[in-house]
Amino acid sequence: MNLWFVLFKKECLEMVRNFKVIWVPLTFLFLGAIDPLTAYYMPKIVDALGGLPEGTVIEIPLPSPGESLLMSVGQFDTLGVLIIALMLMGTVAGERKSGVAEMVLVKPVPVGFYISAKWAAALILVWLSYFAGMLASWYYTGILFGWIPFGEFLACFFIYGLWLTFVMTMTIFYSSLLKSPGLAGFLSIATAVVLGFVSSGFSHWIKWSPALLKTYAGEYLLKSALPDATVPALLVTAGAIIALLIFSSAVFRKKELAG
Amino acid sequence: MPVVSVENLQKRFKDHLVIKGVTFTLGDQRCTALLGPNGAGKTTIIRMLSGLLKPSSGTINFRDAQKGGDFRRLIGYLPQHPVFYEWMTGREFLEYAGELAGLTKKEARERTEELLELLGLREAAKKRISKYSGGMRQRLGIAQALIHRPPLLLLDEPVSALDPIGRREILELLKELKKQSAVLFSTHILNDAEEVSDEILFLHEGEIVEAGTMDELRQKYRQAKIDIVLAGKMDIFLSGVAGGEFIETRLIDGNQATFFVTDVEEAKQAFLQVIVAHRLPLIKFEISKTSLEDVFMKVVRS
Repeated sequence: MNLWFVLFKKECLEMVRNFKVIWVPLTFLFLGAIDPLTAYYMPKIVDALGGLPEGTVIEIPLPSPGESLLMSVGQFDTLGVLIIALMLMGTVAGERKSGVAEMVLVKPVPVGFYISAKWAAALILVWLSYFAGMLASWYYTGILFGWIPFGEFLACFFIYGLWLTFVMTMTIFYSSLLKSPGLAGFLSIATAVVLGFVSSGFSHWIKWSPALLKTYAGEYLLKSALPDATVPALLVTAGAIIALLIFSSAVFRKKELAG
Repeated sequence: MPVVSVENLQKRFKDHLVIKGVTFTLGDQRCTALLGPNGAGKTTIIRMLSGLLKPSSGTINFRDAQKGGDFRRLIGYLPQHPVFYEWMTGREFLEYAGELAGLTKKEARERTEELLELLGLREAAKKRISKYSGGMRQRLGIAQALIHRPPLLLLDEPVSALDPIGRREILELLKELKKQSAVLFSTHILNDAEEVSDEILFLHEGEIVEAGTMDELRQKYRQAKIDIVLAGKMDIFLSGVAGGEFIETRLIDGNQATFFVTDVEEAKQAFLQVIVAHRLPLIKFEISKTSLEDVFMKVVRS
């Protein structure tokens, strides 16, 4: 366990040294704040700038608090996923490509520790950043459109957060599987997109798909009731995350690091 | 009992048999050189010993390996091109390597200071590794291999990338290191092998073509050699000495000739008589012994 913590500390220190610990939370914060703010101020900005022909009536309906928060979730679902993939695509593949993985794994380090320490450090950064972003969105939604009960906000936050965790774990999996960071990043984004399409297209058959967590979080916010399939979907996602982590270690252990 | 015994080790990459069954042992307090030209398979063998590559067949036995234990604990490994986390300082990387190798934080810290001193990295300890020169990286690489005092050191080309001064220092260090560990280092430079190793494994195209202690090899291949250079009339000289039974091999190149002979005295007398009798224009007459260099060249070219 001590050894695991040594690896974990290195990951944390690396995130500090390469400023991930600053730019990732800031980006999420920005993504979270931008939608409530623009939804509220855009009509005013357009008004103030003028430029529209006389007599144009702009009628942009203000979103409900739930819709406002969901717009931010939508941002995390596209740009957030992109950032996570970019941030983590090289975490194993890059170290393998440079050869530094060889230096580390020639020491008596279990491969499972090596992968899980990376996962844990990324988990903390992703959740902190995502929390900062969601909190910003909740706050501006609250003062601009009306407050969402904090409990409901938290439930939505956790449900959707598990999908982001799934994407994050998948990126680490691809990164352990492949030697090219770029390909790992591309594949994890592609998988997330395809999974989203397939799940919403066949949502009657695969109600438990991890990609539907976003939909369920949204339905919960708008209707204040959890859809029936939420719990199975959460369980499947949690199971998939654990399985991906085990696969990552297993796949990586089989690889010959050199050559 | 040797620290490591390797038996009939083979490595196949796709259809290509790169290591064709090598057998050797590495003993305590011995420095063994794995000598061979580029592409002979030196790195592949070292990587198999370190566990980074899996042998296609054959066995590697570590004397100190416990059942179910991790043999990597017994190894210090320096790759040919050591790579580090560039954002760490030299000191941080050594402490990290030490803790990974199973030292406590305190032990790792103390050992790090020792090694920084030993390898002359004290000044650079606080600098980021991204600012290190090639020589400093090589030293840092050696330091991280030594951090947990492993009984077996595997060093892949430890001196090839160094300047003459750095090379000298590391070779001296190797002599010290073998007092505590078994050392296997690869090189393509005979002089380096000759200087520090007790034993040499000549590797050529994936096979050990010759092996033994330095003395054994020197004895085995020591042969008298006579070099002669004339200004001309080499044909007269050659016909004059033809039929001498003491000549084993001869290499003729224009007006230069090299003879490997069994009896130096007899050969010398015979050669000089021919030269004097025919008043041949002698430029150079040299008697010497074959060196390992000749052996190396002979092995590699054959």
